[in-house]
Amino acid sequence: MSSLDGIRGGREKRVVVIGLDGTPFTLARRFIEDGTMPNLAALQRRGTLLQMDTSIPDISSVAWSSFMTGANPGRHGIYGFLDLQPGSYKIYFPNSRHIRAETLWDAAGRNGCRSLVINVPSTYPARPIEGMLVAGFVAVDLNKATYPQELVPTLREMDYRIDVDARKVQQSHDALMEDILVTLDRRIKVLLHLFDNEKWDLFVGVITETDRLQHFFMDAAESEGSKYHSAFRDFYSKVDGFLGQIADRLRDETLFIMSDHGFTPIEKQVYLNRWLVDNGYLKLKENARSIEDIEAGSTAFALDPGRIYINRKGKYPGGNVDEAAAGGLIDEIGRSLRTITSDGNPVVKRVYRRDELYSGPCFGLAPDLCVQSNYGYDLKGAVNKKELMDREVFTGMHTQDDAMLYVSEAAEALAADRPHITDVASSVLDRLGLPVPGGMDGRSVFHRS
Amino acid sequence: MSQRGFTIWFTGLSGAGKTTLARLIEGELKTLGYKVEVLDGDIIRTNLSKGLGFSKEDRDTNIRRIGFVCNLLTRNDVVAIAAAISPYREIRDEIRAQIGSFVEVYVRCPIGVLAERDVKGLYKKALAGEIKHFTGVDDPYEEPLSPDCTVETDLEFPEQSARRIIERLKEMGLVPETAGEQYTEEDEEEVRRRLEALGYA
Repeated sequence: MSSLDGIRGGREKRVVVIGLDGTPFTLARRFIEDGTMPNLAALQRRGTLLQMDTSIPDISSVAWSSFMTGANPGRHGIYGFLDLQPGSYKIYFPNSRHIRAETLWDAAGRNGCRSLVINVPSTYPARPIEGMLVAGFVAVDLNKATYPQELVPTLREMDYRIDVDARKVQQSHDALMEDILVTLDRRIKVLLHLFDNEKWDLFVGVITETDRLQHFFMDAAESEGSKYHSAFRDFYSKVDGFLGQIADRLRDETLFIMSDHGFTPIEKQVYLNRWLVDNGYLKLKENARSIEDIEAGSTAFALDPGRIYINRKGKYPGGNVDEAAAGGLIDEIGRSLRTITSDGNPVVKRVYRRDELYSGPCFGLAPDLCVQSNYGYDLKGAVNKKELMDREVFTGMHTQDDAMLYVSEAAEALAADRPHITDVASSVLDRLGLPVPGGMDGRSVFHRS
Repeated sequence: MSQRGFTIWFTGLSGAGKTTLARLIEGELKTLGYKVEVLDGDIIRTNLSKGLGFSKEDRDTNIRRIGFVCNLLTRNDVVAIAAAISPYREIRDEIRAQIGSFVEVYVRCPIGVLAERDVKGLYKKALAGEIKHFTGVDDPYEEPLSPDCTVETDLEFPEQSARRIIERLKEMGLVPETAGEQYTEEDEEEVRRRLEALGYA
């Protein structure tokens, strides 16, 4: 155990949040049971591990924004990794500056609480906080990812890597696995260094390599015959080692370990824009590359992963649907989507209208429909596909109902047995002894003390 | 970086977005290493100007007090950001003359849009006559004649308005040319490549 256990900030109560991007609850439970994750098993004996629901869509930018603001996308404004500029089909990539709701660390900072926030996705470019922040995916430049700038030389000296280079898969799966392991090692080194040497009341550190591993090696988790089956388990042993190092450092802190979504093997990728074309709702130019290549007469289009937008008059330059007709069209598309099958199996689990999922000042940015698929069918917004379904290099896809949340308290302390990702921020503030701001949708998982 | 102080003065009707923009600009400038202080009209009225009402005289006193503090901050090389309706042109010009390094930002939004949005529920009450002296309803608002920057919050996202303000600060030589960049074109291409590598773009 380190002689240092992190330098205390000004507060009596401290909280540690460790994020494991995309680690499914069911996988964590399996690795506890089969001995792959003994440290997590030990933690579970003195705490509680729960299955957690995440945001819809269940992708990291939306899920982590929902975590950090404790709010639904209708409040924080992030609905995907990409979105359309107002009044246009032109794509932009939402970043930290587009998050409209207050973050957990801003709320904590207002109350004199110092936070270390390392590698949380969707925090790039780094915004100033009371404490330190190193942005996660999709951070590009370490200087712009880091606040304050004084921290940059330390990160460079420690060979910190912002992310795995997923393009390595084009070289080989071995090269990608190597990159994942090196990035994980360096991430852990920096997380522990900052944990030990910086002053904090709230420590938030995220491992993203879990997600990268599962995008490309999820099949290996399931199949003992896979070349990478033991590598997959060894990777999780390393992650477990890190959890053990954190656990050894704890004194009286509350520990949360969470993922932002689950994962499951992919059967097929399903291209919703292809479906919209095939069913007469969407017309695209020959060799379309993005939704900018939409043609006149289109009534709906899709963005990754399962977001469907009605091509409304007045909202989009080629808008083709009157407001009065939009409601009927939404119902019709929703009904038709439910009939998609693959080898006789239903692809779509549920179709949500936006008012079933979202509320708040950013409601107007929401898709008209959100499609949730059954396990195995990964919904995509690509526009260049000629077939409705195919298989790509990816072997894992996200799931909405199998994220995990561990808290270092007995089940009796908990008021919830099936939390939602928006509940984490309120729970953290609760254990810091701080008030929960009115703008958060989630509720603390703990009983009121 | 050696910092020179200046004042950014947001003026506009209630609910137009002054506080939102002030906070966005505050974040941008802090990222660049500036010392920044925001003087929010709603907050100032609960302390520095507590007890003042909404007569012209009281409004002028309130704005002069905010201007006085902005001046103190500016001459000590802090960026002071004021977000207050400040409806009277004469007082705004008086403060500009006092401070010198002063950037007037007109946060414009048609009153019809504001009444419809009515985030604080005040327009409904004002239009029903439950609140008196409400700027834009039964009290005047004098638009700036030559603001340094005008943003149209019914037509732009706050981030777009903030970006235009930062651009204007660059033109005025108050912040360096590299300020406020989010994604460069190369960055954006790299983001696209990384998302593609995970099947998202």
